[in-house]
Amino acid sequence: MTSRRTRRLLAVPLALGLLVAACGSDDDDDGGEGTTATTAADSEPDTTEPETESTDAEPDTTEAPDGDGDADEAEGDVDTDIEADVESVRSFGGDIVIGVEAEATGLRPWEDACAEPCLVLHRAIFDQLVEQAADGTYQPWLAESITPNDDFTVWTVMLRPDVTFTDGTPLTAQTVADMFPIQQAGAVTAGLIAGAGLETVEATGDLEVTYTLSSPNSAFPAVLANATGRVFEPAAAAADPDGFSTNPVGTGPFVVDSRDLDNETVLVRNDNYWLVDSEGQQLPYLDSVSVRPIPDEGTRLDAQLSGTIDVMQTLRQGTIRDARDAGGDFTLLEFQGSNTGGGMFNTALPPYDDVRVRRGLILMNNQEAVIEALGGTGISQQTTQWFSADSPWYSQAVADAWPDFDFDAGVASITEYINDPARSDGKAPGEPIDVELSCPPDPTLIAAMQVIEQVWSGSGVVNVNLTQFDQATHINNALTDIHQAHCWRWSSDQDPSISINPFVAPPEASPVNFPNYYNQEWFDAAQAAIQTDDFDERKALYESIMLGLAEEFPIWYSGGTATLLMTDPEIKGINGWLLPSGDLGVGFPGAAPRLQETWVEQ
Amino acid sequence: MADTEAGTSAPADIPAGVPGHEDRHAEPVMGAGVEAIEAYVVPTGEKPKRQSPWQVFSSMPFFVKLSAIWLILVVAGAIYTQLDTSLFDGNLPLLQDPNLQTNNFNPEAGEFGTGERLEAPSAAHWLGTDALARDTFSRLVYGAWVSLVVAIVAVAFGFIVGGGLGSLVGFVRGRTETFTMSIIDVILAFPALILLLALVSIFEVRDLFIISIVIGFLGIPAYTRVARANSLAISNREFVTAARAIGTKPRRILWREIIPNVVPTMLAYAMVASAFVIVVEGSLSFLGLSVQPPTSTWGNMINQARSDVKVNPWQVLFPSLALTFTVLALNQVGDFFQKRNAVRAAAL
Repeated sequence: MTSRRTRRLLAVPLALGLLVAACGSDDDDDGGEGTTATTAADSEPDTTEPETESTDAEPDTTEAPDGDGDADEAEGDVDTDIEADVESVRSFGGDIVIGVEAEATGLRPWEDACAEPCLVLHRAIFDQLVEQAADGTYQPWLAESITPNDDFTVWTVMLRPDVTFTDGTPLTAQTVADMFPIQQAGAVTAGLIAGAGLETVEATGDLEVTYTLSSPNSAFPAVLANATGRVFEPAAAAADPDGFSTNPVGTGPFVVDSRDLDNETVLVRNDNYWLVDSEGQQLPYLDSVSVRPIPDEGTRLDAQLSGTIDVMQTLRQGTIRDARDAGGDFTLLEFQGSNTGGGMFNTALPPYDDVRVRRGLILMNNQEAVIEALGGTGISQQTTQWFSADSPWYSQAVADAWPDFDFDAGVASITEYINDPARSDGKAPGEPIDVELSCPPDPTLIAAMQVIEQVWSGSGVVNVNLTQFDQATHINNALTDIHQAHCWRWSSDQDPSISINPFVAPPEASPVNFPNYYNQEWFDAAQAAIQTDDFDERKALYESIMLGLAEEFPIWYSGGTATLLMTDPEIKGINGWLLPSGDLGVGFPGAAPRLQETWVEQ
Repeated sequence: MADTEAGTSAPADIPAGVPGHEDRHAEPVMGAGVEAIEAYVVPTGEKPKRQSPWQVFSSMPFFVKLSAIWLILVVAGAIYTQLDTSLFDGNLPLLQDPNLQTNNFNPEAGEFGTGERLEAPSAAHWLGTDALARDTFSRLVYGAWVSLVVAIVAVAFGFIVGGGLGSLVGFVRGRTETFTMSIIDVILAFPALILLLALVSIFEVRDLFIISIVIGFLGIPAYTRVARANSLAISNREFVTAARAIGTKPRRILWREIIPNVVPTMLAYAMVASAFVIVVEGSLSFLGLSVQPPTSTWGNMINQARSDVKVNPWQVLFPSLALTFTVLALNQVGDFFQKRNAVRAAAL
């Protein structure tokens, strides 16, 4: 049985992982088969012959007709391809400034929970053993190969040769093995390690690392594509764990030159970076990257428009709308993957313990109106499950099963409950139910919350009390089970096992089963899904869980999470970077780019 | 004997710019303003004339008059929102329901309407609509009620507790004063915003009354210090000495001589303090820590509109202006009364 300490350790990263609730920042490591749209406003056709061709794919850009940046073509039906830019001249040198929505919590992969703003830095400083490809599969990155045994309990990783850390230390299997004790004690990685059932990490050769699991996990590479697989220099970390946060040592394309908290972190080129482009030229192209936290959305957008920064990150639909309308000569890199907004009911508490109440409230949730309130009309799409429509895991059967907005049916369902003499909340028959709906105090979330509140209250069978707590309190309320109807984010573009398996585990063992709803069949299905690598079989198992959610309604949806990187037009290569295999990488999920192939067009 | 028996009074047309002074009762008023004040003291044994509200209003400088008019409108609007809507077929004349206008959702039909979001000011919506297609003018007027309640409750709480405490310790002195003022100084030394956030977090219920009391608690030290300073000064005046000499009980001196002379200054201060209280409530609302949506407050209107400021800046502008004008008006009117009291007190 999982100990209380272990569950607490699990709680922190997984909670931050599944959520960074409703506030726009879902956490560490999105990826995969998201929806992306690249819109270049008012850009001149590139007539320069490319010096280097990465792939023979066409650039995924569309031009606004009159340079007003009104990219209507990106609304609603957005392009879904991640493709390399092959027409621009790749050149070395250049410095760029990126405006992100918050300061990084820290630069220690094992200790500092990392949301999208933070991931911009982590991905520039550290490499992962595994990266996700554009098609959602996992491929070796710092690893050269990764091989399971027959029952997926032992995974053998071969590291790339001749890789060195930025302090000159060579990367060996022993290095990775030495990371493990630090990771086991880390606030972030301890929970991930426990959740993955990772028992030992051993150096079984100069470059061969063996991972042994307590139970089969066919999706283990996905675990190595997040903080657990992010490689840092263990000796430096052990020597000065706190100092490592400001002077990290990784193998990534950039090195920290200076770090002025809440102002600017300057990264400079790692001259000894191991990765080369398709022409054999050593990456990265850029000389330096400065990352500036600018928390206010409007200020960040203004900074981009005025040229103060070169790249702007946002996870807000309203800001995406404003960026589209802003005009000027900018490239808009939009992404909408499987991460979806919504919320959950604490099914351990009445009246949410009754499916009639949950179903009724969800039937009265008008996603279209909520998305409009969030400023996401034409940007975010309605969701019915944990997978976006272009995900290979997407299920039409689930989409059909998830109910549309039906106010009368919702009222009828709750009316049936409130007229039941045995209603679970102890109120007299006929009395409206009391619902506390809570979200973090973000303006767009408040607006969305009021849309829901209005409809629920308008039913006459629900008394709604809205509450707002800062994000930390909001998360803590969920972890300590004192929540009721609670805004939350669901899913990511990683392997489904990362988010679904802990979600359906018994609540007493899994702190991220926030709705406290347990179904043995769902749990068995999730376990079976990580004991096979047959995609169709796995998809069917996860589909059965999604269908279950559409019957029991422990959670609701409020539209997909849209993100945007707005860049100056001469900045290239954020979309379309390649894996060592030559396949396209995952792109820029969650507006957290990988910058090793980014360049400034001369 | 109370000040009204001191045989002095101040004329109605007190000029602007007469300096106030906290310990004006005990010490000579410093600076050039002394002559100005003395010039308006009537050294006779006549009873002071009570001025009618209209006379007071007439004596105000132009901008103070404007401020007073604005405040009257705000108070009237706030009270107006509390009328029984059933008397007017559901909605008050000139106002719409502030919270159920989201795209004109119709519970009867279970459908959303076609209300325009973020509409610019128009004949139908004088100040436009917000992100949920709600009438901004209506929400602004309803929001005035929150500001009014917070200002009255918080100021009254601080006034009664702090004022009473300050008057008492300024009169009795000794260890009671030392002990009380030490506690007051500790509270004052604590960063007010952090203390406020901590208190608001403790009381997780975002009830208007509780929020007001919490804000009022923060005002206690300031009221205590002001009241104590005045109490100290008045305690040394001749009429208090005379009262002691004829054997009047301390409790009676406190109630009949001290407090009545402290209150006017406190009232003038309360006017200025209520401006501060409204700003604090607005800040809490902006942070989502005050009264919860959908109840409108000026602070949460500003907060909710800021994400759409590029699309429709009106929605940030109007509640900001309402807040600014109200705070400015309270300061103007408060200053006026403070100066007026300064003259009256100096005439004692």
